[in-house]
Amino acid sequence: MIRCFHMTCLLLFLLLTSAGCTDFVEPNQLAFVMGTGIDYAGEEMVEVSQQIAIPSQMNAKGGSSGDSESFIVVSAKGKNVFDATQKIQKKLSRRLMSTHRALIAISEEYIEKYDAKKLFDKLNRDPANNQRDITVLIKGSAKEFLKIKHPLEQLSSIAANKELLINGMSSFTTRQFIIDSATEGTRVLVPLLQIDNDKDKGKDKARLIQSSGYAVLDKQLKIKGILNESEGSGAIWMLGKGTFQGLTIAWKDGNGNLSFRLTHLERRIQSVKGNDPKHILLTVKAQAYLLDNTTPLDMSEADHMMELKKYLDEKIQTDLQDIMNKVQKLGPDIFGIGEYLHRKHPYWWKSQREDWDENFKQIQVSVKANIQIRSTGTSANQVR
Amino acid sequence: MTISSYQMFWIITISSMVTTSYLPIHLAMEEARQDSWLSMLLGGLIMLSITWLTLRVCMQNKDKTLIAFIQDLLGSVLGKILVPVYFLLWFKQLTMIAKGMVDFQNLVMLHNTPMIVILLCMLFLVAYVVYKGGITAISRCAEIIGPILIFVLFVQLFLNPEDMNMKRILPVYADTGWLAIVKGTLSSFNYIVDPSIILMLFFFAENKRTASRAILWGTATTVIWGVLATMVLMFVTGPHIAAQLVVPVYSLTKYISILNFIQNIDAFFIPLWLLAAFVKLSVCLFILSYGISEWSGFRNWKLIACFITLIWFGFNLYSTRPVGDAFTLKSFFLNNIFFPFVYIVIPLILWLIGSIKQRRKHKRQLIH
Repeated sequence: MIRCFHMTCLLLFLLLTSAGCTDFVEPNQLAFVMGTGIDYAGEEMVEVSQQIAIPSQMNAKGGSSGDSESFIVVSAKGKNVFDATQKIQKKLSRRLMSTHRALIAISEEYIEKYDAKKLFDKLNRDPANNQRDITVLIKGSAKEFLKIKHPLEQLSSIAANKELLINGMSSFTTRQFIIDSATEGTRVLVPLLQIDNDKDKGKDKARLIQSSGYAVLDKQLKIKGILNESEGSGAIWMLGKGTFQGLTIAWKDGNGNLSFRLTHLERRIQSVKGNDPKHILLTVKAQAYLLDNTTPLDMSEADHMMELKKYLDEKIQTDLQDIMNKVQKLGPDIFGIGEYLHRKHPYWWKSQREDWDENFKQIQVSVKANIQIRSTGTSANQVR
Repeated sequence: MTISSYQMFWIITISSMVTTSYLPIHLAMEEARQDSWLSMLLGGLIMLSITWLTLRVCMQNKDKTLIAFIQDLLGSVLGKILVPVYFLLWFKQLTMIAKGMVDFQNLVMLHNTPMIVILLCMLFLVAYVVYKGGITAISRCAEIIGPILIFVLFVQLFLNPEDMNMKRILPVYADTGWLAIVKGTLSSFNYIVDPSIILMLFFFAENKRTASRAILWGTATTVIWGVLATMVLMFVTGPHIAAQLVVPVYSLTKYISILNFIQNIDAFFIPLWLLAAFVKLSVCLFILSYGISEWSGFRNWKLIACFITLIWFGFNLYSTRPVGDAFTLKSFFLNNIFFPFVYIVIPLILWLIGSIKQRRKHKRQLIH
């Protein structure tokens, strides 16, 4: 009898304490942050905007209908991200939860005028952060970017996230960003997005997100230059980050165009000329599927295919070499060549690493391409 | 109360894994960067040899616990003075792990729960197991918790294949040089394994031969895991970030994302670590109370266990107030004087005296 009583007391005590009741937060008391925007707000101040999803409104079919939106954007200014987030929390009736965040959008102006490295300390220190979100730069104001209504997805941050993944760019997560910016031999390449200024799609003034190139950042995370769309995709290939790309080239003498879909993008760095660290050979490889052919080439002939492969290799080589030269002139080594040299010639690297942005310009990098033509589609020649 | 050698293996493995997953990787990585796996390997080898030395001492004095044979070998006065050093060591382990556990829980999972509740739950459990069951209950728990812990800890290292870039561990040696590697070893080797508990536990082992083999295997498993974990950490994050991570194994589990679906499995890792900490804490408490009862002559070691739990609780509550005392992992005194003294110097002396005595006995037997 007494034993029963003791057991009951013990069980009650265990129930109350072991369920963690003091820390329990119901899902309807949480505000899920899907995107964070960071803007410049004056000397040493930062304006943080959080895009918070409203799950009850997200069930409306076909995006947003009428006036109800499936998210709200709340912003506040503060001394750093945490300070501003505290002020945002004060405006909200639910606790902010950022573990499902899909996007961190930093405005170009902020990166120019402020030391962006300080942003990343909180991301690494606070254990509530999941570093799986994507970091991008925005041309314009990050707050406006978060406010746009997307015609296909319900939130612009989810849309930007999916857009980057669908287009074959999966390694732009925040964790990659932090690792790359901490490594001495690599610099960061960040996608630059902007709101599509085309006429509004759909009846609700929805806008699409457009990629407006890629920003090349140096060691202090300042923008050294911007690569446009085609240069950027070439650079991503040379970085080893993309998974597939499309390519259209003109045949000799302007006699039509050829379009390929390139998959299994790879790249390899080697130092040549007797292991001389100043001469680097970057080999890019891919498998190409021919999808559009308006030239007089007949794809069922083996000679034509070999000629095509040679031409393709040369054309890609010249294009990528131009991109490489352009980036080299800007300075930052986004390709990780410094890291390769660090591993291969570690003692030589010790003398070079201090000023790698300048020293990278002295390295001669030649690009070679080796494309394997996998298939030429289901028709041999153009149907005239 | 006897422990079979299979249970001995698990007890040693769990007690060592608990501290290895928590402290030495961070300490080694701060000094040695990419080559911290070399530091861990060196530290592991040093610890293996220390374990072997301790086993030699135990084999020489098979039927006595540490308290009894230290008085035999060194004389009762010196023996009685040296033994409290070991008591301090075990008490320090108890407080360090309990405090680390509570701090970690507070940071990661239970932000609002007061520390006392977490502490009370664990302390009550540990005291109960030592009071009711003694070492047999603890070893049976270890038998069950051990395989699960090892399985999860090893498997979790390899769940990150697409993020691992093996080249991040290069260049080997060129960046750091032997001095940094040795410094890394020196600052971390104390925490990899705990050989002092063997001094007491060996008395309870059933079959001394197989028990010593089991202990060596247990230490080797922990060392292998330590080196592997350091290497995987480097593959995934690279040396700059890894040097700043305070609890690297936990951060590693946060990075796992399989097919973008299985994520956030650090929720598995934390309860398992708590279970392992429970085993280690109960072993330390048992050894401490049994030792004190032998040393002071007070027979009822179970009562002493309850008493020590109260002191431990009070100490933990008090020690968080002055912040300087609370974080003593890098203290010069601890790392360079206290631990080597307890782990290396005393067993060496005991071994030497033991072998001299044996040789004298042997000679006397030969003469007669």
